[in-house]
Amino acid sequence: MSSVEFQGVSKKFGGTVAVEKTDIAIEQGEFFSMLGPSGCGKSTTLRMLAGFIAPTTGRILVNGRDITDLPPEARGIGIVFQNYAIFPHMNVFDNIAFGLVERKQDKATIKRKVEATLAQVGLTGYEGRFERELSGGQKQRVALARVLVIEPEILLLDEPLSALDKQMREEMKFWIKDIQKSIGITTVYVTHDQSEALTMSDRIAVMNEGRMLQIGSPVDIYEKPSSRFIAEFIGDSNLLRASVTELTDTGCVVDLGEGVAVPARVSDAVSVAPGEPVGLLLRPEMVRLMPAHDGEKPRLSGKIVDEVYQGALRRYRVAAGTHELVVEVPNRPELVRMAAGTPVDLFWSAESGVAVP
Amino acid sequence: MGRTIPLPMLILAVLGFCYMLLPILVVVLAGLTAGEFLTFPPEGLSLRWVVAFLQSEKYLSAFFFSFRLALLTMIVATILGTAAALFLSRTRFIGRGAMRAFFLSPVVLPGVVIGFSLFAFYISTGIGLTRTIWGLWIGHILYSTPYVIGTVGAALASYDVSLDEAARSLGASPMRTFRKITLPNISQGIQAGSIFAFIVSFGQFEVSLFLSAPNAEPLPIAMYNSLRYKFDPSAAAAGIFAIILVTASVLLTNRLVNIGRLLEKK
Ligand SMILES: Nc1ncnc2c1ncn2[C@@H]1O[C@H](COP(=O)(O)OP(=O)(O)OP(=O)(O)O)[C@@H](O)[C@H]1O
Ligand SMILES: [Mg+2]
Repeated sequence: MSSVEFQGVSKKFGGTVAVEKTDIAIEQGEFFSMLGPSGCGKSTTLRMLAGFIAPTTGRILVNGRDITDLPPEARGIGIVFQNYAIFPHMNVFDNIAFGLVERKQDKATIKRKVEATLAQVGLTGYEGRFERELSGGQKQRVALARVLVIEPEILLLDEPLSALDKQMREEMKFWIKDIQKSIGITTVYVTHDQSEALTMSDRIAVMNEGRMLQIGSPVDIYEKPSSRFIAEFIGDSNLLRASVTELTDTGCVVDLGEGVAVPARVSDAVSVAPGEPVGLLLRPEMVRLMPAHDGEKPRLSGKIVDEVYQGALRRYRVAAGTHELVVEVPNRPELVRMAAGTPVDLFWSAESGVAVP
Repeated sequence: MGRTIPLPMLILAVLGFCYMLLPILVVVLAGLTAGEFLTFPPEGLSLRWVVAFLQSEKYLSAFFFSFRLALLTMIVATILGTAAALFLSRTRFIGRGAMRAFFLSPVVLPGVVIGFSLFAFYISTGIGLTRTIWGLWIGHILYSTPYVIGTVGAALASYDVSLDEAARSLGASPMRTFRKITLPNISQGIQAGSIFAFIVSFGQFEVSLFLSAPNAEPLPIAMYNSLRYKFDPSAAAAGIFAIILVTASVLLTNRLVNIGRLLEKK
């Protein structure tokens, strides 16, 4: 039995479709992210699960129970909002105690649970503070504590890190993931930041225009995207114009033009046919760049267009025939720097190329 | 510490302030005149007209009638206005803008028009409200409620609905959510609106002119009626008390609101 199940769920606002018919099954204890650009329907999906929006069609099940028609207060689902929604007229203690008070628990139990949760989120001693006396990161912790203290079946997080600065975001990413793992709570996480999704998730659903394009592990999504949109939305990508020449056990062989044939993998979610035009996805870090020399036959040859220094990396733009691609080289002193115009050879392993329709 | 307002603005502000305070000053001084008639500047200062006011059955009963009327109007207007503001801000439907404009229209419509329309309505329908206390009360409520809708509406416009959603998903029913989360956070707007309603009702003239019962005149009507026949400085003395009452209610509420803030901080 799945922890959360969407069965044919869709949502229309007037004439516009915010979420198209969706089927998802999320497992117990899973960290499930919904990733996509602004306006793609992530929040709408999450809010249907929380009970703030009624689906136009379909059913939502939590642990096998149909909750589609239950009001939010009867769902036992905790949600953390982008702006945290700390009650401004209550101090930290009362904020965290709110759900317990609504559950009519006795004073001593409430005090004990609130204190334990405060310790868990590292805010012991902050009981008396008000929202305006807390930093962004602390508000975040209070919002999470307020939800965790009622021990919900499901935890929902709607872009919880987007209001924090970069450093805080990095820190909270791991902190949230740690807490989630230690409690083992099923979590649905909404973000438009691919690095958050890749670091934290067990599975990611990539969304665009109300549709779930691909659902898979971070490795699947990054290394075998099922479409151009996903390839370009997640990470940096080179997409070379190619066409399929033959199918193989591991994927296919694509033709890059001028008689260059290279092997490529294909996502399980899609199928390609010989003759079909595809994009060959090559991540910038997967390509090896060498000054041209006789010896091992390169997959492509070309010339350096320019170099951008990025601290940990150097990014080279390379023109190879009709293709142009970006290659990242680790910034190590023993690797020679290549000036614009230098003839270069490009290598990559057979597993690195992915054909995307 | 530097002056943060440019000089021309400061001068304008002071002029505006004088412009608004001058009539009040005139009333106060006129009410303190030692002379026989309502004049300005006063012919010497004395408390004789203040004493006359305090001994005048007619003015005192009008003053307390106005006070009670304003209080009861304030209570009903606050409840109705808050409910209407919530409805307008929390629901989405075609014609919502038109409805808001309609609800707020008594603010822009001349009081004479409202007073006369209600008067004509009471008479033509014959529902027994013509020139009764009840009919007057209804008129005052109609006239004051938009002020509450305005201030509460403003408070709700800046209210973050996710606070309510958070409370709901933490287990609170819609009613509990309203009482424990929404209400405390819009209470400043409600308080401001209810003071407005009180003051507007207390000073209301045109609506009262059409609707007030002969045996229960609000203060402004009583002042007007007495000044029609006699240029009596006790009307100005009554004005002094009206000013004191309104100022006191504003100050008091201000104080209450601030005390609330202090308590919250502990
Ligand atoms: N209450 C509503 N009424 C009408 N349209 C809505 C409503 N809520 C959302 N939409 C529309 O539905 C679509 C999806 O919105 P949603 O908030 O789910 O996007 P999102 O993926 O969360 O975007 P973001 O990253 O910007 O938060 C958008 O086109 C939005 O304009
Ligand atoms: Mg959103």
